[in-house]
Amino acid sequence: MKVVEINDVCKTYHDTEVEVKAVNGVTLSFERGDFAVIVGPSGSGKTTLLNLIGGLDQPTAGEIIVAGHRLSELKPSELIDFRMEHVGFVFQSYNLIPVLTAAENVEFIMNLQRWPKEKRKARTDEMLQSVGLSDRHSSRPSQLSGGQQQRVAVARALAPRPEFILADEPTANLDSKSAESLLDIMEKLNREEQMTFIFSTHDVRVMKRARRVITLEDGKVVSDIRTNHNS
Amino acid sequence: MITSIAWKNVWRNKTRSLTVIAAVTVGVFAGVFSMAAINSSIVQRIDAAVNEELSHIQVNNKEFRSSGDLKDYISDPATVISRLEQTEGVTDVTGRIIVRGMASTSAGSSAVEVMGINIEKELEMFTLSRRLIPGTGSYFDADTRLNSVFIGEKLARELNIIRYILTPEAFQKLTDEDVPETVTEKLREIEGERFSTEKTLTNALAGLLSPKEMKRYGLMIREAAWSYREGSKIILSFLDADNHQTGAAFRISGIYRTNNDLFEALSVFVPEAELRELTGLNEGQYHRIIARLGDNDLTGRVTPVIREALPGLEVLSWKEIQTDLAMITDYINQIYGIFMVIILAALAFGIVNTMLMSVLERTRELGMLSAIGMNRRRIFVMIMLESIFLSAVGGLAGMTVSAVVIGITGKTGINLVKYSEGMEAFGYSAHLYPTIGADFFIMLTVMIVITGILSAIYPARKALQLNPVEALRGE
Repeated sequence: MKVVEINDVCKTYHDTEVEVKAVNGVTLSFERGDFAVIVGPSGSGKTTLLNLIGGLDQPTAGEIIVAGHRLSELKPSELIDFRMEHVGFVFQSYNLIPVLTAAENVEFIMNLQRWPKEKRKARTDEMLQSVGLSDRHSSRPSQLSGGQQQRVAVARALAPRPEFILADEPTANLDSKSAESLLDIMEKLNREEQMTFIFSTHDVRVMKRARRVITLEDGKVVSDIRTNHNS
Repeated sequence: MITSIAWKNVWRNKTRSLTVIAAVTVGVFAGVFSMAAINSSIVQRIDAAVNEELSHIQVNNKEFRSSGDLKDYISDPATVISRLEQTEGVTDVTGRIIVRGMASTSAGSSAVEVMGINIEKELEMFTLSRRLIPGTGSYFDADTRLNSVFIGEKLARELNIIRYILTPEAFQKLTDEDVPETVTEKLREIEGERFSTEKTLTNALAGLLSPKEMKRYGLMIREAAWSYREGSKIILSFLDADNHQTGAAFRISGIYRTNNDLFEALSVFVPEAELRELTGLNEGQYHRIIARLGDNDLTGRVTPVIREALPGLEVLSWKEIQTDLAMITDYINQIYGIFMVIILAALAFGIVNTMLMSVLERTRELGMLSAIGMNRRRIFVMIMLESIFLSAVGGLAGMTVSAVVIGITGKTGINLVKYSEGMEAFGYSAHLYPTIGADFFIMLTVMIVITGILSAIYPARKALQLNPVEALRGE
């Protein structure tokens, strides 16, 4: 089942006098349960593509369809709701809300979605357990290590059961042990919850784990390889 | 949840938030306290006007106030009194005979308004008897009632009944109070000299003593030099009903001290019967009939009722007699409002600045919140709430401090004796007992919340302009 369909999408920036085609005619689709990485040199358009898929930015041409929504037809306010309902984000710098505890951070999006309290609490407990932080419920982000914070971020992104997770360089700030542990958790959740993960990364450790590696160069897909390894 | 995050956000940078809160606290306190002090002087002035000088409503013959003629009395006082007594809200009624004349002693004379009063009734309706200066007699005690007069301190000074003299007794008193000989020796130069006012004595003292000695012993010396000729008499003279000069000597029953110099200088009180005899006015004839109401707030409603019931007579409320005071009373809330708006506007700039710093510091975080699905309305509300909390905490702290300080100073009073001469010339007390109504606190709470909201608009709009992509790109 297709979760994301990208049809001949272009994104051109006119920021400078020179026109920059950050994404140039990309056509791709992601299936439910994909564990895919987008790789490529800096400036190849990875982050721009991720932003387009996540509804953070609108394409200049082409169309992106996520869960039946044509993103180009959505108004900015509808795009925010779309992101809340359908997309889970994991950022390079964790980006947790510093004044909230780990549990409150995980609950945050479910709260925005107005989940009933009991359901929300149960799901939070479940997610914190999945990422191995059930003993850190009440810890503030400042009391957690980088790896632990990123695990909370993953739990936050996954908790409301979005269509897919977009993770932009999620391991870039982590040591190898934390990175491996985070990838273990993501793989497990991918398997257990049939959650689609789309990463952009430079990290070989992430590429090794991926079952699909898409390579971008100058805004174009130069290769899309499915590796059939199961970890 | 948004409320909880906003509250927690306020305390992220404790130093900064506490600084703003302290600024709001001090601003609110300064505003509330100074207004309580102003209010107290007005409340005291109204209290004095109503309870000592005028009461709530006065009924006069239409000509009397301008002519002052003895014959311009109320023609049917019994009906007026009964009408007043039947009016809802009126609790007490009394009549006065009023004669304009001269009060004189061998040392001087002064124009006065002699009020012939029903002592028992006046005791119920006015509190002037409590203004008796200790040691000057009584308010018409039964044994001193005959041919006696109750006068103000200002008049007593003008007639040289009260003066300042450093008598041998005064020196003895100073020695008993441990005033050093070096000081008393200097004072010998003015021994026995009469000073008609406290000011002239103070000026003389200033020429003799050092500033330090003045500060330390000035009050003691003034108190020791204060002298009152007990049992003094004054002559009250005026025209009787037949326009013949008449008058009599009255023994001073007591001297009162108010904060109103003009009232003190002008108003003298004698028992009604004495004045009737001298003027030839018949029993039951009055120039003025005075009504007291159960509540000052009824004045505006009851006055027109009485006016309608008594056509042909002049019916005046205290507000119409003391127009300046009435104007201040009516405008005081607006004055409060303007004053607070100025203070809160200044505070608003502080809050805007703090909130703007707080928003700009959190660019990435706010972008992330938008990225993960927190909509513009929620972000706007969050920033608004942060600002409201900031101002509300400061406002509450300011109001609490104000309430405590007003509570204390309302009991102990604030002594502005330095300015007493100027203030008392206008009838205002130099002793302030700050007071302010609960309604003012409610108004202030509303204004503080409005300030919080208004101050948040610009920072909140700034927060909405942030682009979530920037947050990701900033990584």
